[in-house]
Amino acid sequence: MRKKSPENVDDAITEISAIIGEDKVSVKEVDLVSYSHDYWLITLHWLLKGEVPALPNAVVWPETSDDVRKVIKVCYEHKVPLYPYGGGSGVLGGTIPESGGIVIDLKRMRRLQIDEENLILEAETGVNGYYLENYLNKKGYTMGHIPQSLYPSTLGGWIGTKATGQFSTKYSGIEDMILGLEVVIPPSTLLQFKPFPRSATGPDLKKIFIGSEGTLGIITKAWLKIWPYPEKRVLLSYVSDTLEDALDSVKRILWRGARPAVVRIYDIIETKRHFYTIDEAYGKIVTVIIIEGDSDIVNVEQRIVESEFKGKKLGEGPVEHWLQTRFIVKEASEFAPLGVVFDTIEVAVDWTNSMELYNRVVRAMNSVKGTLFTSAHASHFYPQGVCFYFTFAGVPPRGKTAYEYYKEVWDSAMKATIESKGTISHHHGIGRHRALWLKEELGDAFKLLEAIKQVLDEKDIMNPNNMGL
Amino acid sequence: MPGKWDWLMESLKDKGLRTKYSLIFKFIGKKISGADDITKCALCPNMCRHACPVSIVDGKETTSPAGKARIALFINKKVIDLNLDNIYPLYMCLSCDACTQWCPFEFSVADLIRPLKEEAVKKGLIPNEIRDVFDKLESSGNIYGRRIKEPSENKRGNVLFLRGCEIIENFPELADKSIALLKKLGYEPFTLENEKCCGMPAYNLGNIDLFKKLAKENAKIINSLNVSLVITSCPSCAYAYRVLYKKFGINLKPKVLHITEALRENLKEKLVAHESLEVTYHDPCKLAISLNEPDLLRSILEKIEGVSVKAPRRHGKNTFCCGYGGSAISRLNPKLANEIAKERISELKEEANVIITACPTCKKALSKVNSDITVLDIIEFLNQFI
Repeated sequence: MRKKSPENVDDAITEISAIIGEDKVSVKEVDLVSYSHDYWLITLHWLLKGEVPALPNAVVWPETSDDVRKVIKVCYEHKVPLYPYGGGSGVLGGTIPESGGIVIDLKRMRRLQIDEENLILEAETGVNGYYLENYLNKKGYTMGHIPQSLYPSTLGGWIGTKATGQFSTKYSGIEDMILGLEVVIPPSTLLQFKPFPRSATGPDLKKIFIGSEGTLGIITKAWLKIWPYPEKRVLLSYVSDTLEDALDSVKRILWRGARPAVVRIYDIIETKRHFYTIDEAYGKIVTVIIIEGDSDIVNVEQRIVESEFKGKKLGEGPVEHWLQTRFIVKEASEFAPLGVVFDTIEVAVDWTNSMELYNRVVRAMNSVKGTLFTSAHASHFYPQGVCFYFTFAGVPPRGKTAYEYYKEVWDSAMKATIESKGTISHHHGIGRHRALWLKEELGDAFKLLEAIKQVLDEKDIMNPNNMGL
Repeated sequence: MPGKWDWLMESLKDKGLRTKYSLIFKFIGKKISGADDITKCALCPNMCRHACPVSIVDGKETTSPAGKARIALFINKKVIDLNLDNIYPLYMCLSCDACTQWCPFEFSVADLIRPLKEEAVKKGLIPNEIRDVFDKLESSGNIYGRRIKEPSENKRGNVLFLRGCEIIENFPELADKSIALLKKLGYEPFTLENEKCCGMPAYNLGNIDLFKKLAKENAKIINSLNVSLVITSCPSCAYAYRVLYKKFGINLKPKVLHITEALRENLKEKLVAHESLEVTYHDPCKLAISLNEPDLLRSILEKIEGVSVKAPRRHGKNTFCCGYGGSAISRLNPKLANEIAKERISELKEEANVIITACPTCKKALSKVNSDITVLDIIEFLNQFI
C-alpha cells in the first residue's frame, strides 16, 4: 500500500489527540484504509485488485469549528497535509491523501437550525444531504438541491465541489444558494462571511471557497436559502425526432421566463436505455420535465412549456419512471468486476455550440479503441446554454491497463470539449483527475488561483496537489 | 417492445467479435451473476448512508454501510488481516436493515458481513464484551446471565407469552400488563418459568452454533407445550421464532405473533381517551422492517378516540433504530448507542411529549437518554384505555 509519511506527522497526531481528544483521532489501519479513496471510478478497479490509491497517517473527526481550527493550527505548525472529507462520493479523486498526512472528516458536524422568518437554514457542513433535505421537507421547506449523490454526500462536499442538483434549472447550483459561510484557513483563522440578502461590500470573498475542493481552507458552516415546499408539481414528457428539436424547445421555454425545476433530454442511446418500454420513443429523443412551486406560477409555466415544446406528449409515465430510478447507482457494482470501465463526464456549453460539442465529444470518445458506447443526456439548463452529461463504457484493449484506456477516453473528451468552446466541468469539479485540463481552461487565471492558494495556505498543507494546486 | 439490454447489444454490434465481450453478454443474458454481493456493496458510493443510524451519528467511513463491505472485501483479499481491530467496525451495525430499503440489490449489510463475524468467532477473535454475552447465554440461556421467575398464577393457559430477556431483566411490570391485556383480548396467556433467550443476540454477533443450540432448545420446549399460538413482547424475538428458526430448519409448531399483531387481530373494543392526548411513535426496526409491519403501531394508536397521532419524520420502513438494536453497539460502544438514541429522541420530541413504541429494548434505549419525555410501550399505553 502506498503510504507517505510527512516529517513530524507523528508529533502532529499526538498533539491533535491531546488537544481535541483521543476519541476523535484514529491511526488504526482499518480507518486509514477506509479513507484511502473516494468514488473516483478508476480507483474502484484498483480496489478490486486489492490496491488502494494512498493511505493517510491518521483520520480525525472534529465535532466543532473550534476542533477544526485546532487541527489546522497543529498541521500548519508541523507542515502536515490535511485532506477535508465529506461523503466520499466525489468522482475525481479530490480527497485522496496522496502525500500522506491527516484526513479530516466533518460528518460529525451536522447541526441544523431554520430561520423561518427569513427562509434561511444555518447548517454545519458535515450534514448528510438527504438528512438536510428531509429535515426541511418535514417542516414544510426545501432547499431544492437534489444531486444524484443526495444520499451519500454532505453539504460540505456540495460547496467544496461547487455542486448542482437535478432540480437546478429552477433552484440553481449550490453557489447561488449560499448566503453566508464560515471557513477556517491556515494558520488557524476562523472567517465568517455573514448572511445577507445581498451585500455590496467589495468582492464576494466567500465565493473563493465555493469550488475550492479543500485546497484553501475548511468550510465548517453555511447559511443557505430555502423555499416553501412546492405546493404543486406537474410532470410532463415529450418525444422528439432530433436532439436539436428538444434543445431548441427548452431554450425557447427558458427565454420566455419559465423555470421548470427538472429538464432532462436523453439522446437516442439513453432513450433506448431508460425508456425501452415506450415503443414510440425507441430510436428517438425523450425529454422529461418537472414544474413545481406555487400553483399559480406552475400553471403559467405549464402553459409556456406546452406551447413551446416541439414534440409529441408522452404523459407522466416517463417522468415517474425517472423519479423512481434516479437514485439507482449500480453500474460500477455490476460492470467493474467484469473488467468494464464505466464513467461519466459532465461539461457545459452555450446554445450556439451545443450540438457541435455533443457530436464532437461522442465521436472523440467512441474513437478510442475499446470504447463500447458513448451516450449523453442534457441535464441542466440555463437561458444561455446547457450541461451535457456523457456516459461511456469500454474494455481496455490488449496491452493497455484500465487506467491507460480510461485516461485516453477522458483526454479525448476534454480536448473535444475545449475545442467546442465548452467548459470541462459543469458540477463534478476538478479533483486530481481533471487538474491538467483545469490549467488549460483557465489559462493565465490559473496563476491567480495559485497566487490565492499561496496567500491563504503558504505552507501548502490544504489538500496539496488537488486541482493541480 | 425492445428488451432491457437491446440498447447495449445494438451499440456493441459494430464493435467486432462478440467473444471479446463475452462476459458482458453472459451477464446481460443472465448466464452469470457478476461479482459477489460483498464486492457489489463495496463498489457502491454508499447510497444507503442517509438511512443508516450508525453512519449518520458516528460519521465515519469505516462504519458506513458500504464502508463495512469494503473492510470485508479488504479482509477477504488479504489487504488487511482478520483481527480484532479490523473486525470491530463490522460490529458497529444495528442489524436494522434500514440499508436494505434503499439498496438496488436489496442487500442487508448485516447479512453480508455476518459470515466474517462467524469466521472471527470460530477463530476466537471475539471482543470481551461479546464473549461475555456468549458466556451468559451458554450458562443461563439469558443475555443478562440470570432468570426471574414469573408470578405463579400464570402457570398454564392456551397461549404462550414469551417475555424476552429485556422484560425479564428490566421491565417485569410490562409482563404483568401484557398478560392483563392479553386476557382482556380473550386469551389465556401463560409464561415459562425458565424462558430462554430466543438466540437473536448470538445470531447478530456471529455465533451461529450458539444460536442454533438455543433455537433447538426453545423449539423442543415450545413444541412440547401443545399450544397453537405464541405471542412475544419483543419484535426481535418474534422475528427469530418465526423467520430465523425456519431459515435454519428448526420447526416451531405454534403460530408466532408479536403482541401488536395479536392486537390487530383481536382489538375489537372501541377505545376512548378521556382527555385529548397528543402522542408520537417510534417504529421498532424489527417490527416495521423485518416483520414487514410498517404501519401497524400507528394504526393501533389511531384506533384510540381522542388520541392525536403525530408521525415522526422517519417512520415505517424508514424508521431510525433506537441505537440498541443488533446486540453489539450498546455493549462495545455505549456512547455511540446513546448518541443514536438521542438523535432519535430529538426528532420524536419535535412531535409530542409522549412517545409510544412496541419493543422493550427501544423503550429502554429511548428512556435512558432523556428524562423529560415519557416513553411507553404500546402495552402499558393501551392498558389505560381497555
